Amino acid sequence: MKDKRTWFWLFLAPVLISLFFVVVLPLLFGIYYSFTDWNGIFLTKFVGFKNYSAVFQNTSFLNALWFTVKFAIVSIIMENIIGLGLALLVTQKFKGNNFLRTIFFMPNLIGGLILGFIWQFIFVKAFAAIGGLIGIKAMESWLATPNTGFWGLVILMSWQYAGYIMVIYIAYLENVDRELIEAAEIDGANAWQRFYQITVPMIAPAFTVNLFLTLSNSFKLYDQNLSLTAGGPYNSTQMLAMDIYNTAFSQNNMALGQSKAVIFFLIVAIISLTQVYYSKKKEVDVG
Amino acid sequence: MKRKWIMLALSLLLVIALSACSSSGSGTSNKKVTLDIFQFKVEFKKQFGELAKLYEKDHPNVKVNITTVGGGSDYGAALKSKFASGNEPTIYNIGGPSDVKDWKAKLSDLSGTKAAKLALPGTLKGVQQGSKVYGLPFNEEGYGLLYNKQVFKKAGIDPNSIKSMDDLKKVSRELDQNKSKLGIKAVYAFPAKETWVTGLHASNVFLSPEFDQDVTKAFESKTVSFKYGKQFKQYLDIQQNYSIQPTASLDYSAQVEQYFSNGKVAMIQQGVWVASTIAGISKDFEKNNVGIIPIPVDGFKTDSIPVGVPMYWAVNSNKSPAEIKAAKDFLNYMYTSDTGKKMVLEKFQFIPAYSGYDSSKIKDSLARQIYEYAQNKKTIGWVFMGYPTGWGQNTLGADIQKYTSGKMSWNALVKDAQNGWKSARNQ
Repeated sequence: MKDKRTWFWLFLAPVLISLFFVVVLPLLFGIYYSFTDWNGIFLTKFVGFKNYSAVFQNTSFLNALWFTVKFAIVSIIMENIIGLGLALLVTQKFKGNNFLRTIFFMPNLIGGLILGFIWQFIFVKAFAAIGGLIGIKAMESWLATPNTGFWGLVILMSWQYAGYIMVIYIAYLENVDRELIEAAEIDGANAWQRFYQITVPMIAPAFTVNLFLTLSNSFKLYDQNLSLTAGGPYNSTQMLAMDIYNTAFSQNNMALGQSKAVIFFLIVAIISLTQVYYSKKKEVDVG
Repeated sequence: MKRKWIMLALSLLLVIALSACSSSGSGTSNKKVTLDIFQFKVEFKKQFGELAKLYEKDHPNVKVNITTVGGGSDYGAALKSKFASGNEPTIYNIGGPSDVKDWKAKLSDLSGTKAAKLALPGTLKGVQQGSKVYGLPFNEEGYGLLYNKQVFKKAGIDPNSIKSMDDLKKVSRELDQNKSKLGIKAVYAFPAKETWVTGLHASNVFLSPEFDQDVTKAFESKTVSFKYGKQFKQYLDIQQNYSIQPTASLDYSAQVEQYFSNGKVAMIQQGVWVASTIAGISKDFEKNNVGIIPIPVDGFKTDSIPVGVPMYWAVNSNKSPAEIKAAKDFLNYMYTSDTGKKMVLEKFQFIPAYSGYDSSKIKDSLARQIYEYAQNKKTIGWVFMGYPTGWGQNTLGADIQKYTSGKMSWNALVKDAQNGWKSARNQ
């Protein structure tokens, strides 16, 4: 018995130690720096909550926060609807469904930065070319206005993540007991009722996982944001992570950037934990 | 039992592997000096490496390690983490007065070096404090309006006739009216997306006069008045009105490669650094077809090109005297020895910031034209390194995007930029 415990900790140790050094320690340091006037090189004094009060008077942070929230809501809905739709499609019995699964999953294998540049090319060059051909002026100015920048990001993210979300839905969909659905069918439930009353509750854990994943992904988005719009035009598509980076590194305001990062951490943690708590409550237990 | 030992060995291995990552680079060999160079210029990485090899051959007791991290804010971030990690480089790059202020405790005085004495007048302005010199210039760079010689010839326009903003407007209108005849899509490719083109370079031309073209004055100034704001507005309007649209998503590569190098526009605002990119598309175009004219600032200078030093070499004062000595010697070697000079001119293709160079050896045509402006003292000083950190790009550049998209009036832009400057200075 005692032996088992030793092994348990011994095997856990490498992970715990590295987790401590690369996650916990930097987090503590970060919180510490956010209360100082650190400029990345030197630290002269403690400033208390001055940085934090500055964060909330900082319009670029508030704009980025609002943009991120809007983006998160839209992209969570889009990614999950598309992901679930694709999962339902490829769990039907037809030829080539395995092939389609691979195709749908593929975008997720490409790195975010590269994807951003690919889509930038599509939006700026391909859209403009098509728009020019068929004479729609609006298609020639993608990514040049805040709105197209926003939808560009949503399209990019849905395209990339829907496949990944689909895989998780597939795993749960294939575990739904056929007998339950057949029984419902015999009882006279139509396709929508079977889906909504039987399948959805049965795959509730998948919603928990997927909502969590899409939520935290949308909030922490940086590389796609950077390569697709770089925050432009006029910083209107700047998301939180990018605002933090810019504050810290291009405006050289390390301590302020750090306080933004701490607030960012709190926001993401609170939203994610609340979401997981409520989604978990909704799951049905079919032991 | 045996199995247990294997497992123990395995887990130990894991721990060792994890900790090994952090314990490299200990133990120095006797008397051998290592120069760790942390630099930002990606374009000349290979050629710089060649120079380091030559230096090592002449100085067998010195080993040169070069690390290159590219461009802009990324370099500053990387440099900070490099210092924070305790693995401090011996030679690194600083950009101007604000970097000097930030890094002062880690900068050696280089005023005694041969290179500092040979530096061209004005090139040390941004890194001087009293008699102390904290950096040595990389090179000189210049920019202006690059024009397509062929298009101008075809249109029968003499580029040297542009002597005022009104002339520029007239020429732009004329070119615009004959677009299809000249085979161009628009007169300009104006990359409002690239905030460094608008917020740093374009603004510099119009803000430089109010700071007496002195970067240190700009750095110490608590306010910015936009004394030449009217001219600045006029310049932006011309660019915006006669440009490929939409400008808010037009980037550097589209501007230089897609449009200018392919002869689709007549003029772009760019500098000497585009030469290699243009040559990559057409060597012939680069050699014979690219001319440069000044951006005219009515009421100040209408015949001068902004020329300045983009970056400086600095030596870490936190190193042993032997290392500092070797670092200074290396920089002297690069800019003042015959081998070094040859490399600087022919391989790096720099416009030298030091005297004692044979300018006829400058290969690249754009660089030669800019060097001529510099020789004739037809220059406007660079002050944008003295802007509050991030102000040029994040405040002014972003506001210019708003202005050109019609979301902000010019007066509001000036006001916002002035407030941004003031609040950054009063922090």
